[in-house]
Amino acid sequence: MSLYASRRSANSTATTLCWVAAMFGLAWLLLILIALLYEGFRGLSPAIFTQMTPPPGSAGGLLNAIMGSLVMTIIGVAIGTPLGMLAGTYMAEYGRYSKLTTVVRFINDILLSAPSIVVGLFVYTILVHPMGHFSAISGAVALALLVIPVVVRTTEDMLLLVPGSMREAASALGAPRSHVVASIAYRAAKAGLITGVLLAIARVSGETAPLLFTALNNQFWSTDLGAPMASLPVVIFQFALSPYKDWQELAWTGALLITVAVLALSIAARTLSAGRRKSK
Amino acid sequence: MNAAAQTPKELPTKISVRSLDFYYGADRSLKNITMPLHTNKVTAFIGPSGCGKSTLLRVLNRMYDLYPGQRAEGEVLLDGENILDPVIDLNALRARVGMIFQKPTPFPMSIYENIAFGIRLYEKLSRADLDARVEAALRGAALWDEVKDKLQTSGLGLSGGQQQRLCIARSVAVQPEVILFDEPCSALDPISTAKVEELIDELTNRYTIAIVTHNMQQAVRVSDYTAFMYLGELVEFGGTDDVFNKPKEKRTLDYITGRFG
Repeated sequence: MSLYASRRSANSTATTLCWVAAMFGLAWLLLILIALLYEGFRGLSPAIFTQMTPPPGSAGGLLNAIMGSLVMTIIGVAIGTPLGMLAGTYMAEYGRYSKLTTVVRFINDILLSAPSIVVGLFVYTILVHPMGHFSAISGAVALALLVIPVVVRTTEDMLLLVPGSMREAASALGAPRSHVVASIAYRAAKAGLITGVLLAIARVSGETAPLLFTALNNQFWSTDLGAPMASLPVVIFQFALSPYKDWQELAWTGALLITVAVLALSIAARTLSAGRRKSK
Repeated sequence: MNAAAQTPKELPTKISVRSLDFYYGADRSLKNITMPLHTNKVTAFIGPSGCGKSTLLRVLNRMYDLYPGQRAEGEVLLDGENILDPVIDLNALRARVGMIFQKPTPFPMSIYENIAFGIRLYEKLSRADLDARVEAALRGAALWDEVKDKLQTSGLGLSGGQQQRLCIARSVAVQPEVILFDEPCSALDPISTAKVEELIDELTNRYTIAIVTHNMQQAVRVSDYTAFMYLGELVEFGGTDDVFNKPKEKRTLDYITGRFG
């Protein structure tokens, strides 16, 4: 009985410690969110979505930054997703047992955890410097380089989860390999693949460092891919560090917008993967 | 079940396995197998786990080719053509030699699409023709009455036995000549098993069938010929009645009377 009692007390001690640790972690997250909501909501107004970033002392919004973020993220994802999917498909379907896959997986994992500022510097060297000026397109390329490893990883993981028996069954009907991949494996892994892309978008939409060296910033409305372009993270970076009260307020609002967008993407990704069992 | 087995040499042979060796890497898991599969007959492969019966089955449609490090040596003649020849078109071969797996493998799509998937690989049919073919396949697998009102719902929503019959219908729909069954009932309850066995019985008029089974009663019930395998060797091959009633080999007798395995 005393053995049982000591087990019980050990159990409750451990449970309490786990609980405290979880709360400790959650508390900071909660504090950040509260501060963000409190500070960010104050500045939220229609002007945020209709006006350009202002000079200090005058009224304005974040329209050019929102637009810039959207443009560069979309192009970055459009470049990175197909490349990442194809690489992930090779690794899971065609080269599952090949040495190349092991090497690619290893390098991809390094890329996955590489500091994004390194990616920014890399694109600066290969694109910005030869072009002679900062540009939105080099910003998009930098984001694409961050999208690729995420998509490669999730694509490979999700395809590996598709049971081999499903591939065998399709092959047994005489379906060619490409057809097995496109109609069976992709379909079975669909929710997971989309989740991967959503997570990649969430990952890059808050990136500042790679954009600082590539797209820089632009105070004005611009859709020219060859010219510098504003983006939410860079505007936040610049405005938050400034001594001007109204700029700081805009930075908070911008931070709130990014957080809400990333949160929405994460929830969408969660919902999708939760619904994976009911795949049709 | 019929006793035409006395003169196996004279029966038409669909597949002829000759001096077949199979390797997983360096492991030799089939040793010098020679046996026929007679046209429109059911041949059962029995033997204890690891004896190579599934391996042998997976040679007959070269399923092993999906994995590296596995190779077969010898000859497997399908209508006289060696399917182990590297130049053979694997997709065309698998269209002729269908396979049903141990666990039902419905695709993540509707019941209708599961059947249509295979048909579309080979034929471009009008909607009406395709509908008719899907219905015929489902009827052929004794599944039509159970699913005709929910053809557009997911195949994953069916019971295990229904899923297995769906897979049989899918395989039959592409009109193969040979169907390989790899322990098709081991995941099914007795009633579903009986339905699948009935189905195999009906299919035997039109298809050459090979079935791997752990269930000796099943081998007796469904097969015309039985191959008993042990440790990668073919110990005995003959008419099912002969193998079970008067086996020539002591190891066969021991296995079928439950003394080992």
